Amino acid sequence: MESHFHRELDKLKMTLIQMAALSERAMVTACQAFFARDVDLAEEVIQNDREINLLEVEIDKQSLKLLALDQPMARDLRFIVAGLRIAVDLERVADQAVNISQRVRFLGSRPPLPRDPVMEQLSEASLDMLKLAISAFVNQDANQAMDVCTMDDKVDELNVMVLKNLIDYMMNEVPAVERSVQTIIVARCMERTADHATNIAESVTFIVRGLNIKHHSST
Amino acid sequence: MTASVKMTARNLDFYYGDFKALQDISLDVVENQVTALIGPSGCGKSTFLRCLNRMNDLIPTSRVVGDVLLDNRNIYDPSEDVVSIRRRVGMVFQKPNPFPKTIFENVAYGLRINGSRDKGFIAETVERSLKQAALWDEVKDRLDATALGLSGGQQQRLCIARALAVQPEVVLMDEPASALDPIATQKIEELIHLLKKSYTIVIVTHNMQQAARVSDVTAFFYMGKLVEVDSTETLFTRPQNQQTEDYITGRFG
Repeated sequence: MESHFHRELDKLKMTLIQMAALSERAMVTACQAFFARDVDLAEEVIQNDREINLLEVEIDKQSLKLLALDQPMARDLRFIVAGLRIAVDLERVADQAVNISQRVRFLGSRPPLPRDPVMEQLSEASLDMLKLAISAFVNQDANQAMDVCTMDDKVDELNVMVLKNLIDYMMNEVPAVERSVQTIIVARCMERTADHATNIAESVTFIVRGLNIKHHSST
Repeated sequence: MTASVKMTARNLDFYYGDFKALQDISLDVVENQVTALIGPSGCGKSTFLRCLNRMNDLIPTSRVVGDVLLDNRNIYDPSEDVVSIRRRVGMVFQKPNPFPKTIFENVAYGLRINGSRDKGFIAETVERSLKQAALWDEVKDRLDATALGLSGGQQQRLCIARALAVQPEVVLMDEPASALDPIATQKIEELIHLLKKSYTIVIVTHNMQQAARVSDVTAFFYMGKLVEVDSTETLFTRPQNQQTEDYITGRFG
């Protein structure tokens, strides 16, 4: 028989999944808006951020209640503690999406920079990591989570390449400095998203295996 | 300081008639630590506790196979004196069971039946035991009053004082706070933290949060078997066995 506590825990998981879906959509939409230079789409991301913030508050509330009233143990305890951390990472992913969307507001009203395929690769790689991390959480799959952690180095390399390309470009195109700096910020947001995906994957590993793999520790 | 083993159960089986209540239990009890025994009703945890000071000897048709070592000597060896074992391994029960005597006489009882006649020694021991049981300040002005007038929580601490008076090495506690309110329970739990500096404690509890709060090591019993034993922190945060996980997360049955 499922207990009242486990029904409440399932509710918490559903709230986290809902928040994950909205944060993922925010980042996917922000990247689309950036490449399509679509200011309306960017505005949509900014508008929707409030809902994600409210879900974070709701997750804090639900988690605190379960910790206080039910004194969870073992995997249930790990789920709630890690869930609180995952909610923080998801909220920051959404903030990165808002940050990208704010750059789109600026860039959309100015002439486009030349297309950089590395930027597209960076966006794709960080979104892949985010989707895989969320899938690992939904399925409670530690193997998927470990895969996410191995992908972060590639994203860091792509970010450095974008930075180099844009610095080279700015040296020759002084009028494009402001647009280039804004684009560097966008790349940085994508790279940060991959870092949050790594954090989420580490939290999933903690839930499933009871192992803390943050900062290469394994206790 | 290296932790040393005070008691050891080695391949212990226990029978009530034909019923095998404990199967092949091997467990070390470390000196100056609190070892908690948890598990569902009927899992054998109280039976195991009572094996540690031969309290089960009192049950007709019961039978023990295997060894229980106290400082490396088998307490079931025919040459061992059961009274001496029970003095070294004291016990506190679920319900406070003071004798219908004064507070002083309750604590002095064990000393008197052990042959002590020295009034000064008895008075000192009563005071020290009541202080160790965190009861002295509440009863020092009415030591001649009947123990039955104390509250439930005070009575239980009196029983702990009575157990401590004969200077045991190990104290067994069978759900010592289950009949008490939260404040009295908290006092008993604080007391357990203090007592482990001087004694080795084994506690049976149905309350998992209590096991988590007071113990250093927790052992999970199920259907007469020891399923898992580990440091309390590990057992309650990442148990290795699925049955343990299911039990402590309330997914049992």
